[in-house]
Amino acid sequence: MKNEFKIPFFLLGRFMRGSNKWTLSLVIFLLAIAYINLIFVNSLFQGVISASNQQVINTSTGNIVITPVEGQEFISNAEATVSRAEQADEVNAAAAETEVPASLRYQVIDANFPVIAIDPEQESRVTNISQKMIQGSYLKAGDTDQIIIGRQVTGAQGAQNLSTFEGIQVGDKISLVVSGIPHEFTLKGIFYSKFLEADNRTFVTRQALDGLLPDLHDKASNIIVRIAKTGTEQTVIGQLRDRGITGTFNTWEAMAGQLTTVVDSFITINALLTTVGFLIAAVTIFIIIYVDISHRRQEIGILRAIGIKGYLIRTTYVFQSLVYTVLGVAVGAAVFFAVLVPYFWVHPFVLPLGDVTLAILVDDLIGRGFGVLLLGIASGLIPSIIVTRAKILDEIAGR
Amino acid sequence: MSKNRDVIQVKSLEKTYALGEIKVKALRGVSLSIAYGDFLVVTGRNGSGKSTLLHQLGLLDHPDAGEIFFAGQEVTLMPERRRTELRLRNIGYIFQEFALIPELTALENVMLPAMMIGARGSARKRAQELLARVDLENNLDHLPSQLSGGEQQKVAIARALINDPMIIFADEPTANLDSIAATDVISVFQSLNREADHTIVMVTHEPEETACGNRVITIADGLIR
Repeated sequence: MKNEFKIPFFLLGRFMRGSNKWTLSLVIFLLAIAYINLIFVNSLFQGVISASNQQVINTSTGNIVITPVEGQEFISNAEATVSRAEQADEVNAAAAETEVPASLRYQVIDANFPVIAIDPEQESRVTNISQKMIQGSYLKAGDTDQIIIGRQVTGAQGAQNLSTFEGIQVGDKISLVVSGIPHEFTLKGIFYSKFLEADNRTFVTRQALDGLLPDLHDKASNIIVRIAKTGTEQTVIGQLRDRGITGTFNTWEAMAGQLTTVVDSFITINALLTTVGFLIAAVTIFIIIYVDISHRRQEIGILRAIGIKGYLIRTTYVFQSLVYTVLGVAVGAAVFFAVLVPYFWVHPFVLPLGDVTLAILVDDLIGRGFGVLLLGIASGLIPSIIVTRAKILDEIAGR
Repeated sequence: MSKNRDVIQVKSLEKTYALGEIKVKALRGVSLSIAYGDFLVVTGRNGSGKSTLLHQLGLLDHPDAGEIFFAGQEVTLMPERRRTELRLRNIGYIFQEFALIPELTALENVMLPAMMIGARGSARKRAQELLARVDLENNLDHLPSQLSGGEQQKVAIARALINDPMIIFADEPTANLDSIAATDVISVFQSLNREADHTIVMVTHEPEETACGNRVITIADGLIR
């Protein structure tokens, strides 16, 4: 009994040694393609989801947005709240933002883009707008009559708003109309974060706001909090509450707005494509291995005729399928990591929600690899069961 | 398995094949006994039923009716697992088309059935001895594709002998060989029967080969004539 367990390994070794190298390469290539098809689409969609999530965090909301408690318009003592939030262990930085109740006017065009008052240095620690200037420069403390605007405001090619300040240049004058009174500002810079909702905004300094609306001094519409590790927002919210910070706490996911719908759609599409991908992989692997085993029907008949037990024959072909799929997954993973990931890192997909590269989710890659291996086992087992139950003489005769 | 006077006893064996819409009665109630040490030659025209008989005796197929006793044990209703075990330990089968595994060398083809029972080392040693007995000691590492038809059939004979079976079935073993190779293979069978007392059942339709056995039966229209 113990000796016969060695038969599948013996036969597998001889079959691999005697196999046609081109055929073997083709089988492994096809299995590698089936695996890449499974992981590439998923990585791409995860990349899109990751890019959009990161864009929301980096350009707009940070990880946590603290808004006024219900019934209040602003958070009082904004600076003290920011300082208290920054003392929490897991908080990297916090910044107050105040939405200015003003409209914008450029030449004869009026538009209602959000105008947000910020402390430029503080803001640069929670969002990356300061690094996204494509013309002019970012705000600095003491800029009381300067404004920066997002690319969407300029009506640049691809911008989606109808009423925009098309043709505006750095140095041009823009009016902030507060309570019907225009206040002249100079356009200091234009930023382009590639995230539509972020590029739809304009920024002035808190000193400028103090000059326009002194009543809003040290008041914030929201406080943006960046934390050390995305995904631990709820824990940090608990820490902030423990520090006596009051307000409504929202995670970036809750604040993502219309992007949430887009991301949800991507998740659904990805799930559908994954299902279809698995079906395609299953059919591909099954056909490859079924054809291979069908070509060995005569051989299987001979093995049965000389007294090799059916389960040993089935085990041999399951092992063979397993070797094929392991090699296919290994080659597929090698191509993915050595070619596709670096290529898309250098040449990312440029989408309205940001640059998209392939996301590498190790659990997903391993899970899908195991999925392919299971498909390989099933693809080896099913035809070998069918073949070892057929009549020996039919197999030997190739009928 | 205890030794009986007869290796095989067959009673009223029937087998019908379906060839499309037509049913062909290949065996119509064959009865016979094969004793230890017999070299039985089964002859007859093409389609007479001689290979069908061999397939039933060699446990490669199931008859529609009748009984087969193998060393006194009824085997027609035996589960496939036990029939496989019988084929492994007690039956050697030689096919017209050699039926070697193309990826295995001559030595590996011969030692494979022995590896089911014993250690690989002893299987290898016995396979080497048997291949030497059929004059293939210099072709141990040759693949079937590197051997002539006669050499391949000798490998098949060595494989059939590897587990020291109670009986050897040979289904037209010389049909695909030239006359020199055929004579060579027949002389191996004769030697196995005369010198080593192996029980052999050989199907042939070559008239000159009927003389090599100690018994000859002729099958015609599914019956022994």
